[in-house]
Parts: sequence; structure tokens; C-alpha cells
Amino acid sequence: MAQISSFKQVSDVSWEIPESYKSGMRVPAKIYATRKLLEGMDAGVIEQVTNVACLPGIVRSAYAMADAHWGYGFPIGGVAAFDVEKGVISPGGIGFDINCGMRLIRTNLRFPEVKPKIKDLVDLIYRLVPAGVGVKGFVRVSDAQFDEIMKYGVKWCAENGHAWADDPAHVEEGGYIKGADPSKVSRQARSRGIDQLGTLGSGNHYLEIQVVDPARHFDTKLAKNFGIVEDDQVMVMVHCGSRGFGHQIGSDYLRVFDGAMKKYGIEVRDRELACAPFSSKEGKDYYGAMVCAANMAFTNRQIIVQKVREAFSKVFHRDAEAMDMHLIYDVCHNVAKVESHAYDGARADVLVHRKGATRSFGPGHPDIPAPYREVGQPVIIGGSMETGSYLLVGTQKAMEETFGSTAHGSGRTMSRTAAKREVRGAELQKRMMEKGIYVKAATMDGLAEEAGMAYKDISEVVETMDRAGISKKVVALRPVGNIKG
Amino acid sequence: MTYRFLPDIALADVAFEAESDTAAGLFESCAMALTDIMVDPKTLKATVDREFSLDSGDLDRLLYDFLTELIIAKDVDSLLFKEFSVKIGTGGGSLKAEAKGEPIDRERHGLRNDVKAVTMHMFGAKHEGALWRATVVLDI
Repeated sequence: MAQISSFKQVSDVSWEIPESYKSGMRVPAKIYATRKLLEGMDAGVIEQVTNVACLPGIVRSAYAMADAHWGYGFPIGGVAAFDVEKGVISPGGIGFDINCGMRLIRTNLRFPEVKPKIKDLVDLIYRLVPAGVGVKGFVRVSDAQFDEIMKYGVKWCAENGHAWADDPAHVEEGGYIKGADPSKVSRQARSRGIDQLGTLGSGNHYLEIQVVDPARHFDTKLAKNFGIVEDDQVMVMVHCGSRGFGHQIGSDYLRVFDGAMKKYGIEVRDRELACAPFSSKEGKDYYGAMVCAANMAFTNRQIIVQKVREAFSKVFHRDAEAMDMHLIYDVCHNVAKVESHAYDGARADVLVHRKGATRSFGPGHPDIPAPYREVGQPVIIGGSMETGSYLLVGTQKAMEETFGSTAHGSGRTMSRTAAKREVRGAELQKRMMEKGIYVKAATMDGLAEEAGMAYKDISEVVETMDRAGISKKVVALRPVGNIKG
Repeated sequence: MTYRFLPDIALADVAFEAESDTAAGLFESCAMALTDIMVDPKTLKATVDREFSLDSGDLDRLLYDFLTELIIAKDVDSLLFKEFSVKIGTGGGSLKAEAKGEPIDRERHGLRNDVKAVTMHMFGAKHEGALWRATVVLDI
């Protein structure tokens, strides 16, 4: 549990830990949480967010969001921005699963029509989207094509029949981040990733059929901007990342940075905080490789969505276009990007690390696709497979306070082993079926590990971020079908 | 071959501690723990041989690289292993190893968690008294 007596309470949902808390802190740390969430946070979050505040070139604050929990080096639910000249880049501030993220597509179907077909639909998607240990995807690409994917992500998909024309515009950064350098990607990373396009993976990754919850349709006017016009409207959410490709790039550069810190005279409080100056050769190499993984992850989620469209089309005997299966948005929650932000009275480019944190750009930002620009960027917050998820929207306050960032999910509170002790996979599957959620899982062990009780209450996380004003609730989404990797 | 899982080290991931009276035995225990996380070893057969030859400079990095190679084999060649024979080179920075296992069979194998990566958190192999010990945290 966090020792909060030395923290300054800024509001009922935000706290500041001053630089005097720990020797070496260059900036304060800021935590978004209710008192209850803060008291429930593991002490590792406080230790880690204050360690991050010690890193060279960090500006303004190190942040932990309401879903924060212990991670490697940085807490998950952590945000930190660094001066592009004097600051560092750290793989621990991004995570091994580079550009793990969320994608939400809508349909014009209502649940009463889908309910009788939910088993057929989930079973078919399970066959079309491989999930679990060591799976390979159905899309085969050459080395040259994989280079293009690393550089152009969803733009490549649109040019090669794997996306609808308007899909790229509805992905963060327009479907690909600039600056990819495939020459900085190892042979092993390439080998791990090239056959994994269109695969869900394992762990906490999932693909979910959801319905708009009539009781929690918070802002119907905002929702309409995203094509959400009815209660019980059916949505599809995808949570996954860059698979073995990103994991290997993370592993490769963790080793590189472990050595580079001596070279640059950087000392850190935790080996997992390994970092290098962003302007150094090692920093630039990692950024070039990391962007390749981010663009591969966008592509992975895109190919999965094409399979979802195919499955709906087969089950409901209609074109996916006729079912209005457009992408609402795709957001990263494990990434570092150069962004322009106003802080400390000036505007500058900074390298924003978001690890288990989502971009939350407010109304009017030029990086938001034109149809949403007036209302703000969609923010997709994924919950556990039992408790549901939320669509929110970015705010001007997030631009002013958190480098345009908010939370990403509900955050674990129970270990995988403890969750398996509490419930067996088959029992959980039955319990979920009774709640009206049809689940197909690659493994029963894996299913038990992702039980809702192993996570924080997502509603409290979302409520906290809404009250803090750094993202605004639009609608809650209730799961009715789930594929668990 | 001895290892035990440590449930309270990393909530979202899996940690284990392994020990052996030799450095080579320690590597074999760690490899077996890795397999145990991904699949029920009892459901695996030893029908395929794979040789590994690594030179990493020191024992810590060698263990990191060896486990990473096994993860790569799972993703690239769909191979999971159940028997390991490791020989550590003079100085402890290199190894030659043979692993026996088989390609993933979703019908027959009791598959568990996909391992993403070996982390540096608490990572290390050390010689304590008569035993070699290692702590490993894997990202799931």
C-alpha cells in the first residue's frame, strides 16, 4: 500500500509527490486516483513513478494514472515526457509489447439480432483470428513487404487490400508513425514477427463483441459523432499489439541500453529503467526499430479487423459495408512519440512515453481525424473480459496537464497464480455464460488468470479520469462475446 | 532439476526461482520452468532435436540469451522443448546446448501462457555456497 502522508492532495482525484520525496528527483510525480484507488495501489507504483522522475531530461512531471500498477522500470499506467535534446528514451517506458493498443469498430446491428448468432459469430472469429501460444497468422508477406509494413502500417494495408479507404485516418498517427528504420531491426525480431500478422496473442489480449449499455450511455450527442446512435448497438473491440516482433525488439534493445548507460554515464535506480540519450546513436536506433514495431502492431490489428468484418458478413449474410462496420478509432497504449506540447510557458517537441496510458488529445487538435476534430480524440479503455469497457474522449485539460494522456484499462490487483487458485477456467466460462457472455479461450488456465476479480474496478478508474477532466466519458460497452488469447 | 514459481513478484507476469549444483543444471532448470509456463510438459514428446551455440560474454547474459533463443524457437519454428542438455564453456560466457521437443499441436498439447520476453527485473544467476541459483521474471 502507498504511504500517502507525504503527498500533497491537489484535488479529490489527484496527488503530487514533491521532488523532496526522494534524492535525485528532477520533477515532481503526479498521481490521478481517488483516495481509495491510491490506498489500494501497490507500493511499487510510488517507487517506480518517483524513479522515473529522476531520469535525465524529464520535463514537468512523471505521471501515474488511476489504473497504475507495478511494471518493469516504469509503472504500467505511466506517462513521462522528455526534452528531445537533453532527455532519454527508455524501452522500460514503452513495454515489451510495443504499441499494444485498442481498436473499436461499430456496426449498425442491435443486440436482439446478434444474440441468437453470438456462438456462431464468436466460433467463426476464433477460427479466423489465431490466438494462443506460438500461433501464426493467415497473411503471408515477403521480407520486402514486411519492410513496407514496418514503415507504412495501415497505409500499406489500404494499398494492398487489407483495409477500407477510410481506415487509416481513424488510426492514431493516421495509421503509421513516421521515422521507422527497418535496418535497426534484428534478424530474430523479423523472424518472430513476419508470420504473426493477424494474430491475437495471449496474456490479457482479447477480441470482444460488445453492446452499448443503455444505462451508461453518458453523452448521446458525443456518441453520435462516433456513429453510436442506439442503445444495444453492437461493437467490436480488439486488444493486442506487435506480438513476438515487438517483444524481440524490446529484448534486443534492453541489452543494448544496459551497456549504453555506462558509456553515457547514466545511473538509474532499477535495471529495467535502462535508457540512452534520445539524440544518441543507441537512442535513435531504438526509436527507428520501435516505430517499426508500432507500425506492425497497427497492421496486426487492422488485419484482425478485416477478419472480423469477414466473419460478420458470413454469419449475417450481408456486406460488412451494409452493416456500417467502420473503424471508430485505434489507439496505442505502449509507445513513445515525438509530439508538440505547450508547457512551462512555451511550446516544444517532447518525447512522450506512454506505457499502459492512452493519448487523449482534446478538441481542435490537428492530429485528430476531421470528423472528430471538434469533439476530441476517441479514447478506448479496455476492462477485464467480465466487467466491460468504455469509450471516452480527449480533453483540453489533458493537453494542459498530462501531455494529452489518460488511463488505458483497469489494472491488475491479483497475480496470475492467485487468480487460478480462486477460480478454474471451466467454472469461469460457465459463470460468464450465465451472465450472458459467450467465451472462447485458447486455454482454460489463461482464461482463469484473466477473471474480472483479478482487476481493479474499471468504473472507478474511468470515473476518476472523468472527474480529473483529462478524458470524458461517452459510453460504456458491455461484453456479450469474448475471444481470449 | 529444481524450480519454483514466485506468485507475488509480478502480478501481470510469471516469476520463478531455479537452482542446481552446476551452472549447466541451472540453465536446464530455467529452460524447463520456461516450458512449464507455456505448456503442460507431460503432454509434450521429444521428437525433434535443436542445437544451440551461444557466446554472450558472461553467465547472466548467457542465461538471458539462452531463454530468449527458446522463446524465438517457439515463435519462429513453433517448437516447444521438454529435455535439455547444456554444456557451459570455460569462463561461463558461452554454451552449447541440445533441446528435444516437438512442434506445437493445439489438439494434443496442454497449452498455457505465451511468453513474450525475459525481463531484467531481479534477473541474475549466481553461485551461492554449493548451489547455483537464478531468479527470472518473464513478461506474459
